[in-house]
Amino acid sequence: MNAGLIAQNTFREATRDRMLSGVMIAGLVILIATQVMSPLALGEGLRLTIDLGLSAISMLGLLVVLLVGSSLVAKEIDRRTIFNLLSRPITRPAYLVGKWAGLAGALWVVTAGLGAGLWLVLLSRGNADHTASILQATYLAGLELSVVTACAVLFSSLSTPVLSALYTLGLYLVGQWSYDLRSFAGHVPAPLSTLLGTAANLAPNLPLFNMRTLAAAGELTTPWHLAVATAYAAVYVACVLCLASAAFESRDFK
Amino acid sequence: MSVAARARARALGVRERMAIAWAMGLVLGAAACGLAGYAARALPPPRPLEELSYYPSGAHLEPATLGHAETAADLAWLRAIQYYGEHRLADNQFARMGHVFDILTSLAPRFEAAYEFGAFALAQEGRDFPRAERLMLKGIAANPGSARLAFQLGFLYYVQPGGRQLRRAAEYFQQAARLPGAPPQAARFAAYARQHSGDLVVAYSLWEDVRNHSQNHYLREIAQKEMEKIRRALETGRREMAVRKLPTPVVLLK
Amino acid sequence: MQSPGVRSAERHGIDRPAGTASDSNRDLAISARGLSKFYRSPWTLKVTRGLEDLNLEVARGAVLGYLGPNGAGKTTTLKLLTGLLKPTRGEAWLMGIPIASPESRRRLGFLPEQPYFYDYLNGREYLKMAGQLSGLASHEADTLARHWLGRVGLGERPDLNLRKYSKGMLQRLGLASALVHDPELLILDEPMSGLDPLGRRDVRELILEQHERGVTVMFSSHILPDVEMLCDRVAIVLDGRLSRIADVGELVHDGRQRVEVQCSGVTVIEIPPAWSTTVTRREHGSDTVFVVEQEHLLNDVLAWLLRSGVRVRAVSPQRASLEELFLSAAESSEERRSA
Repeated sequence: MNAGLIAQNTFREATRDRMLSGVMIAGLVILIATQVMSPLALGEGLRLTIDLGLSAISMLGLLVVLLVGSSLVAKEIDRRTIFNLLSRPITRPAYLVGKWAGLAGALWVVTAGLGAGLWLVLLSRGNADHTASILQATYLAGLELSVVTACAVLFSSLSTPVLSALYTLGLYLVGQWSYDLRSFAGHVPAPLSTLLGTAANLAPNLPLFNMRTLAAAGELTTPWHLAVATAYAAVYVACVLCLASAAFESRDFK
Repeated sequence: MSVAARARARALGVRERMAIAWAMGLVLGAAACGLAGYAARALPPPRPLEELSYYPSGAHLEPATLGHAETAADLAWLRAIQYYGEHRLADNQFARMGHVFDILTSLAPRFEAAYEFGAFALAQEGRDFPRAERLMLKGIAANPGSARLAFQLGFLYYVQPGGRQLRRAAEYFQQAARLPGAPPQAARFAAYARQHSGDLVVAYSLWEDVRNHSQNHYLREIAQKEMEKIRRALETGRREMAVRKLPTPVVLLK
Repeated sequence: MQSPGVRSAERHGIDRPAGTASDSNRDLAISARGLSKFYRSPWTLKVTRGLEDLNLEVARGAVLGYLGPNGAGKTTTLKLLTGLLKPTRGEAWLMGIPIASPESRRRLGFLPEQPYFYDYLNGREYLKMAGQLSGLASHEADTLARHWLGRVGLGERPDLNLRKYSKGMLQRLGLASALVHDPELLILDEPMSGLDPLGRRDVRELILEQHERGVTVMFSSHILPDVEMLCDRVAIVLDGRLSRIADVGELVHDGRQRVEVQCSGVTVIEIPPAWSTTVTRREHGSDTVFVVEQEHLLNDVLAWLLRSGVRVRAVSPQRASLEELFLSAAESSEERRSA
């Protein structure tokens, strides 16, 4: 229940922050821009719209995670507003879970909003047949952002906002390359291959949430893929929040 | 038991709570690694890495797009069209066009329009048929089920400036005709190309297919006529009755 | 809505010997045994003492003043008790519940020093959230939030964004957030900080009101008159150790009391020779303060001042004993440190 209250409060903070409305506006501007650029694409305007639209959701969401998520806990410690919370009967894990849930919730709202905007643009072009693939791609983008938000909460509870943003970005990059790392690990000798394999496992497996290629062609992914992606996101987020709780438990607030 | 008694009974020290959080984190982490490994094996990304190794420049670019290869490809597509248009109106020199389309199709191997446009532009305005051929073959390797690309490669051979390659053209028209979503003209193009490449026996059976399966009675009549021509040519030994030397295609750029 | 009920108004000022049985912790609002906090620098590995071996018992319903100079360990103690710092060793209980358990803070109201709040909330939203986090239901929290906002003088504009609050308003809001859920124990770190005299008066009244209701209060302060006025007992912490603890009541009957008379409009006025050793003067801004060393002279001095046409603005008894207690404790600590 306390985690829910913290989540509600964090959601309120995120949605009252001008950043989120700025991001929504930026996303809508990008969608409009795709329609302006469409005639230049020699008949591939649909592809352009879907690709840029879905990329905008991911990139703008990542921007929010880096700017807001990385200071989520660090800012509270810095400004000492955390004293008012942790001196109440709330456990530290509940606090972290609440922080994650609040920001992830706000990001789902942004994802859904921009996804709906993309869908409306496609409808206006007469491409209603892409609804299902857009829905799937948007859902996976939301899962991806939830995973990256958990990483941001972990770093934010241990470090300053700037360092936390850098660590989160670093982990995001390694996560995007995780399939490449696995592949390289298979072609290099022993100690390096172990290192690469470990990095690929530790970093979030972000390509799992990427179906932009399929969506561009209007194709759907399998329900099994969606199920595996959902399960992976849930397990990874839980793992990261447990580790954050372990580290946060002994933290002193001077 | 009162609240106080319950709290006293279950009060865990900081160390115990940390240990529990670490243990849960490790278990969940192991589960996440397992799921990630499974996903990497069973749900590979839409683009297998080994096919990209044929084009190292494109392969190196893809990781830099951080999962947004399709969008980067779209932006490269817009650029490629601009490049083509500018040089078509100016100097008809397309020195970089091969490289641009190579990058583009490495980023988005399923972008069929890019192969098509690129190959024909390279073959005709670019006067670089070998490169055009390589581009189309790359497209077919990445999209083995694409009837469109197979047909277009056949057509590329058919209109090859300086000398058609009718046998190759026929081969790809036939391949296209066998694939789902084949253009309706693929079968008769295959028959036509076989016939005029001198391969009368195969051409005869291809025309027979057209006659037996075409919905268009006009096409069935044409097929019947060509079959009779081929039969007479084979019976009399006068191949010139069925085989015609087709004019050599040239590219005229004004 | 649960109306704040009136609890028993007993004042407990009896010094208890430190018990060993954990059951006795239930009868105490605050109990600490060997509570210590040391900091080790990760670079130099040097160990700094924040607090060492605190043994303290505060009975339910008592008001304890926690004194000490800056850096003595007052805030460290309060943060250890409220779970913001983890003890290096030792134990403590709040109302019988170990501080390691979040349940120990359910009936606690804590006001940190110079509280900060969320910019994006208004007063009502913040208090409601605070109440809910301490276990109140949503509707009840909302009602109590409005009540306490009014009670601390912020009720005029409940929807004013906290970003626009002044320092004094933030302090009042902090107090309200400590009280919104009707706690049994109040721990306040410098509750008068940042308040004007009217604000300080209001806080004193609030503390007294809570005390009348049987709430235990522990607060740290630099302002000795406030401590002396409000507290049953006073603890002095110096250099991370509890130096002295005494009932204020023991000091009340100390004969030597100084009184300060603050006046304005003093022009040329000479202290009568008879009072040359017992009455001194000092300038205090545009006012003059006459310090009367012996209380029994007060009436005569006042009469003389009024005859002289001076305007008397304030008469403040100075419990020299509390200040002396504090100063002598501080001096002996200095001696120990330099020895």
